[in-house]
Amino acid sequence: MRMRVAAAAALVLVVSAACSKTTEEGEEVDQTRTATGVIATDPKDSLGPAAEVPGATKGGTFTVIRENKISHLDPQRVYSFAGLMNAPLYARSLTAFKDDGKGNLTLVGDLAETPGTNVNKDCKVWEYKVKDGVKFEDGTPITSKEIAYGIARSFDPDLTGGPTYVQEWLADTADYDTKWNFKANKASLPPGLSTPDAKTIKFEFTKPRCDLPFALSLPSSAPLPPAKDTGVNLDNQPFSSGPYKITKHTPGVELVMERNEHWDPKTDPVRHQYPEKFVWKFGPDPDAAANQVIADTGDAAAGLAFNGVPSALVSRVEGDAALKGRTITSPTPSAWRLTINTQHVTDLAVRQALNYAIDRQGFITVYGGTTVASPLTTLMPPATIGYKEYDAYPAGPTGNPEKAKELLAGKTPELVLGIGDDVPELGTQLKTNLEKAGFKITVKTIPADAKLDETKKKDNPWDIWLDQWAADWPSGAAILPVLFDGRSIKAEGNSNTSYFNNDAINAEFDRVLALDPSAQAAEWSKIDERIMKEQAPAVPLFVEVAYYLHGSKAGGIFISSVFGYPAFVNAYVKQ
Amino acid sequence: MSLSPEVLEPVPVADAAPAPKGVVGRSPGQLAWMRLRRDRTAMISGCTLLFLMLVALAAPLIEVLYGVGPHDEFKHLLTRRGSIPLGYAGGVSADHWFGIEPGTGRDIFIRMVYGLRTSIFIALASAIVTAGLGVTAGILAGYLGGWVDTVISWITDFALALPFLIFALAVMRPVELRFYGPREEVPTWFRVAVLIAIFAAFGWTSTARLVRGQVISLREREFIEAARASGAGLGHILFRQLLPNLWAPILVSFSLAVPAYVTGEAALSFLGIGIVDPTPDFGAMIFRSIAYLQTDPAYVFFPGITIFALVLAFNLFGDALRDALDPKSSR
Repeated sequence: MRMRVAAAAALVLVVSAACSKTTEEGEEVDQTRTATGVIATDPKDSLGPAAEVPGATKGGTFTVIRENKISHLDPQRVYSFAGLMNAPLYARSLTAFKDDGKGNLTLVGDLAETPGTNVNKDCKVWEYKVKDGVKFEDGTPITSKEIAYGIARSFDPDLTGGPTYVQEWLADTADYDTKWNFKANKASLPPGLSTPDAKTIKFEFTKPRCDLPFALSLPSSAPLPPAKDTGVNLDNQPFSSGPYKITKHTPGVELVMERNEHWDPKTDPVRHQYPEKFVWKFGPDPDAAANQVIADTGDAAAGLAFNGVPSALVSRVEGDAALKGRTITSPTPSAWRLTINTQHVTDLAVRQALNYAIDRQGFITVYGGTTVASPLTTLMPPATIGYKEYDAYPAGPTGNPEKAKELLAGKTPELVLGIGDDVPELGTQLKTNLEKAGFKITVKTIPADAKLDETKKKDNPWDIWLDQWAADWPSGAAILPVLFDGRSIKAEGNSNTSYFNNDAINAEFDRVLALDPSAQAAEWSKIDERIMKEQAPAVPLFVEVAYYLHGSKAGGIFISSVFGYPAFVNAYVKQ
Repeated sequence: MSLSPEVLEPVPVADAAPAPKGVVGRSPGQLAWMRLRRDRTAMISGCTLLFLMLVALAAPLIEVLYGVGPHDEFKHLLTRRGSIPLGYAGGVSADHWFGIEPGTGRDIFIRMVYGLRTSIFIALASAIVTAGLGVTAGILAGYLGGWVDTVISWITDFALALPFLIFALAVMRPVELRFYGPREEVPTWFRVAVLIAIFAAFGWTSTARLVRGQVISLREREFIEAARASGAGLGHILFRQLLPNLWAPILVSFSLAVPAYVTGEAALSFLGIGIVDPTPDFGAMIFRSIAYLQTDPAYVFFPGITIFALVLAFNLFGDALRDALDPKSSR
C-alpha cells in the first residue's frame, strides 16, 4: 500500500512537471542597440563625480557567483571578461568608457584629465595629464611615474596574459620583450614612453597609433608604485587605485573587496562606491549559480550569477512571473560568423551563395533562441561606434536557397564544415540548411578544446567553420583589420581566419587607421559593407545576447556596451 | 545432450498430467523452457524485450505509418525566444507522441524508435562477437592446458587490467584519424564498427574465464575420455563434446552482457565518443536532454524511461534464464 502511495505521488510529480503549458510570451530583445560612442573633447566630461544612480543606496555586501576563479587580478595581466569587469573596482586606467548600458559610450579621461592629446594630429605623439587628487589605497598620490611604471612592467615576459597593444606599438614589434628588457631596466622606461614631469605622460610612436585612447581604457594602463611591485605575486593581491581594495583573497574560493577610503569620487567620472563590500564566490557551475539567484536567499539575494542564465534555463526564468524585473538582457558585441576559408573557396559566387543560403533564424533556434542570440548581417556588431546596418545579401530571416542555387549555376560545391564536437547539432543544422541550397557539405568534428588553435592554422584542412570575435574596444579598428588584413597572415595563431588578402582592402585599412579616432567611425562601416559586397569572406550569423539574473536586493547592474558582460561600477545593494 | 548427473535425476514437474505412462521423458532444454514459462518475471520481461526488438526491427515501417522521419524538423513548434517546444509535456500532440526536441525541433518518438535500433544492434552484435571470442579462447585454454592456457590466461589478465573507459576515450579518435583524412566524413557504420570492436576487445575476458573453468571441470569426465579413446579429433571434442555442455553458462553470460553493452554504448555516446548527431542514439539524446531537465523534463523522461525499461527487461530476463537453466545455483 505504501508503495502504491509513493508511486502515485511520484507520478503526480512527473505529470505536474510535464503538464505546465509552454507558450510564446515575453517581449523581443531590443536588437537595434547601436553604440553612439564619442571621444570626449570637453575636459569637463572627464571630471567626477559620476552621476548618482537613481534609487541607489549605500552599504551592504554585493555578491557575485562564478564557476571558475578570475584568471588574473594583476591589472597588467587582466584580459578575461570577468577580470575586465572586476578590475575597474580596484584599478584605474588612463582612460575609461562612460557607459549608460544602452549603447551610449563616451571615452573620457580616468586618471588622465582628457582621453589624450594628439600632439601633432598625426597619432604619433600622445600626451596625457594626470588629474590632481588621485591616490593609491595607502593614500600616496598617483603621478605619471607610477602610471609609466605600470606600463613598463607589462613588458615583463613573466607577467603573461594581458593585452599587448601598447607594448607592441611602443616597441614597434611583436617581440617587444626582447626589444626592451624590463628586468634589466627597471629604473628606466620603455622606448617612446616618457614622463616629462610628475603630471605628464607622453607616448611617442614610429607609426600612427590612433587607437591609443581606446587601448589605454584597458586595465593594463593602471598605475603601480615600484616599491609595491611583488612581480607574479601581485596577481593575488593587487595594489588598489580604485574605489575598492582587496582585503581577502583565497584563489578559486573567494575574493573580498572593501571600500578604499583614499579614493575620491570627485576625481572619478565613471565609478561609484555604494556597497560596503564586493564578494566574489567561486565554485558553483552556471546552473547551480543561476538556481541560487532564482531562489533569492542568503548572499544570492544581493547577488548576481556572473555566468548568466544557461540557455536551457532561460525559458524557466521567462515563465516565472516572480523573476520579472530581476532579469537583464542585452545584445553583446560578441559576433559569430561562418568563416569561409578563401584559400579553398576562391570562387566569389560560391561565397555569395553561402550568404544568400544561410538560415539565421533556424541557426539561432538550434543555438537556443532569440533570448541568447540576435541575427547579424554585418561584420561589425551593432555595438560598434559608427555602426551602420546593411544586408549585402538580403534573403530574409530564413535564407533564400533559390537565389543561392541561381548563383551556383548548377554547380554543387563540396565544402568541408569543421565543427566543435561539443555542438554537433549546429553542424547538422548548417548541413541541412546549406544542402537545401545546392551545396554538398561534409561535417567533420573537431575536438572542442583544439578547434580554436586548429582553425587559426593557415594550412588547416577545412573550408567553413564557426568563429567568434569580441573586440577589446568598440571601434572598427579593433575588428576589421584584425580579422581581414591579409598582410598579417602567419603559419599559426591567425585572427584573419578567412585567410583573406586583398590589396585594395589592405590599402583602405591603412588609410583609415591613420585618421583621427573620431573620424574613423563612419569609415569603418563603409569598409565593412565593401568587404561583404565585393568579397564575402564570411557569413555573419548573430551576436550573442547576454541574459542575466540578479537577486531582489541587487541593483545598478547593467550590461557593459564595450564587453557585453555585467558591469559593477553602478552596483548597489537595496537596503 | 548434457550428461551431467543432476539433470538425470527425476525432476518433479508440477503440471505432470496423470498420463498413462506416469513419467514423461523430457530433454533439459524442454525442462528449462517449462521453468521459464512458469516464471512470471521472465514472461513479462521477455514480452517487453520482444516488443522493443520488433519496434527496432520495424523502424522504417513505423516511420511510414507515423508519417515523420528521424531527421524531419519542426522548428515552428518551438518558442522563438527559448527554443522550447510549445504546448504540454515537451510538445506532445497527436502528430508528435513524445513531443519534439528543444532547439532542433525533431520528433522524439521516431528518433527513439531509430535510437532503439542503434542501441540493440550494437549491443547484440557486441555480445555475439564477445561470446564467440570468449568461448573459443576459454574452451582452448581449458581443454589444451599447458602453455596455451598460460598464454591465453595472460592475455585475459592483461585485457582485464586495461581501464575500459580511458582506453575507449583514447582509442576512438586515433582510429578515426588512421582511416579517414581531415576532409573526409567518418561514416556512422565505421563508428558502430569501432564501438563493437572496443566492446569485444574488453568483453571477451569474463566469458573466456567462465568457459575455461567449466571446461577444466569437464575435460577429465568419462565421455570426453571415451571420445578421445575412440580417436576423435580436437575439433570434434571441443565443439561436439564440450560445447553442448556449456550452452547454459554461455547463454546466461550472453543475456547479461547485452544490457551491459546497451548502457555502455549509451555511456560512450553520452561522452561524445560513440554515435554523434544526427544519427539517433539514446546516449547522445540523454546527454543533450540533461541541460533541459528543468525547462523540458519530458525530453529527459521519454528516452530515459525507454532505455531504463530496455536494460531492466534484459537483466530480468537474463536472471530468469539463469534460474531456468540452472535451478540449483543460488541467487
